[in-house]
Amino acid sequence: MRRLRKSIRNLAVTIMDLPQDLLFDMPRITMIGNVQITIENHRGLDLFSDQLLRLRFEGGALEIAGENLVIHNILKNEVYIEGTIQRVEYIKK
Amino acid sequence: MHFKLFMFVRGYVAVDIRGNKIEAFMNAAIDSGCHIWHMNRTSPTSVRVFTDLNSFFRFKSILRQTGCTMHVHSRLGLPFLLNKMEARLFFTMGLVLFILGIYVLSQLVWRVDVEGNERISYDEIMTVAEQQGIHPFQWKFKLQEPEVLSRAFTDALPGAAWVGVEVKGTRVRIQVVEQTSPEPKPLMNPRHLVSNVDAVVTDIFVERGRPMVKPHMKVKKGDILVSGITGSEENKHVVVAEGKVRGLVWHIYNIQAPLSHQHKVYTGQSKVRQYFVIGNRALQLTGYGKLPFAASQSDSKRKTIQWRDYVLPIGWIREEIREVRIDKEDIAIKDAKVIGLTQARTDIVMKSGDNARIHDEKILHEKIEGGKVYMKVLFEVEQEISTELLIIQGE
Repeated sequence: MRRLRKSIRNLAVTIMDLPQDLLFDMPRITMIGNVQITIENHRGLDLFSDQLLRLRFEGGALEIAGENLVIHNILKNEVYIEGTIQRVEYIKK
Repeated sequence: MHFKLFMFVRGYVAVDIRGNKIEAFMNAAIDSGCHIWHMNRTSPTSVRVFTDLNSFFRFKSILRQTGCTMHVHSRLGLPFLLNKMEARLFFTMGLVLFILGIYVLSQLVWRVDVEGNERISYDEIMTVAEQQGIHPFQWKFKLQEPEVLSRAFTDALPGAAWVGVEVKGTRVRIQVVEQTSPEPKPLMNPRHLVSNVDAVVTDIFVERGRPMVKPHMKVKKGDILVSGITGSEENKHVVVAEGKVRGLVWHIYNIQAPLSHQHKVYTGQSKVRQYFVIGNRALQLTGYGKLPFAASQSDSKRKTIQWRDYVLPIGWIREEIREVRIDKEDIAIKDAKVIGLTQARTDIVMKSGDNARIHDEKILHEKIEGGKVYMKVLFEVEQEISTELLIIQGE
């Protein structure tokens, strides 16, 4: 059953040309230079300090390193971070 | 919803969360629908967050679950501000009264300006203004509409073509545009136009009256040129004769023209004297001694200390005396005649009234005597020859 659902989704993505984040719970990351970053579809905060920030995802995590990191706003599946961003790393579980 | 103004009205708090599992607390809080913003790490074991009041009260149970503690750092927004104000009642009252006072004072008319009046007096305008209720310390809302006021002013001031009333802040501006009526014509008595000189008429133009002469007619001084009596013998009509009559007039002019000309020349030698001035007394400082020049011209400049309009009674005079030589120049007889004639022409044209024109000239006689040229010249000048003569009625 689960396999079937996944294959239907795959089909929808390839045939209908839909963006992947809508169907696969993938994070959508928007960066403005190195000063702002918005991440959608996250699954919670793993670690937060002013130099390193880790966010959980479905099947992975995202690490953001920088200076003076501040969570400007946080919602259930959206987070908006300000500061000097130096590195963004995707970690697969 | 994260509008700053909205949050300010609702009130919010800055909270320090302390503990080892702050991330877990955060996740739990967000899952339960708390609104959190501007979160930053203040130390390895504490985080400062901003949150609204609803979320803040939900924090307690979540804190207990995750083993964190909380400390309120600051209370912000209108609800807390009002609390503070309640504590400082008199200060708040003062603030409110001040704002109220400014508002009330700005509702008054403080000044009435009148512009553009020249013939209508200021007092006259202010009397009308008073009748319309425009005066200092009047409430602005008691005044009528500017258009209504403007009409009232225009009706009340007969000399004004238009009056504009404008309320600008606490100032009322009354702008007056006065009527300009043409200057009344001076009243004139019935009259003839007569000749003021012996002449030959060249041109006659009559506006009113009966012409008595024609061009090329000789007239004597006192002859009527344009009669002020029109109509037939039985049906006489007396008017003010108006018109222009031009005629040729003979002028005999005696000219004297000198055969030499004197003029001053600077030799280049000069001497400077400096004076110090107090009040209206001057003390000479430099340039003593006799003047070595036979003829000289002096030229002095005064300097005073002043600031804007205030002049100090202390000053300085620099006098420069330049040597002058008088040169005598001979003029040829031909040139002297030309100079004399030119002067005579301008003089005659000047004396013969407007639009006079020299028609012809003839040298009758000339002689040279005592370094001068004497000439007798006849000028034939075309000029205005008419003058007024009143008609005395009942004669």
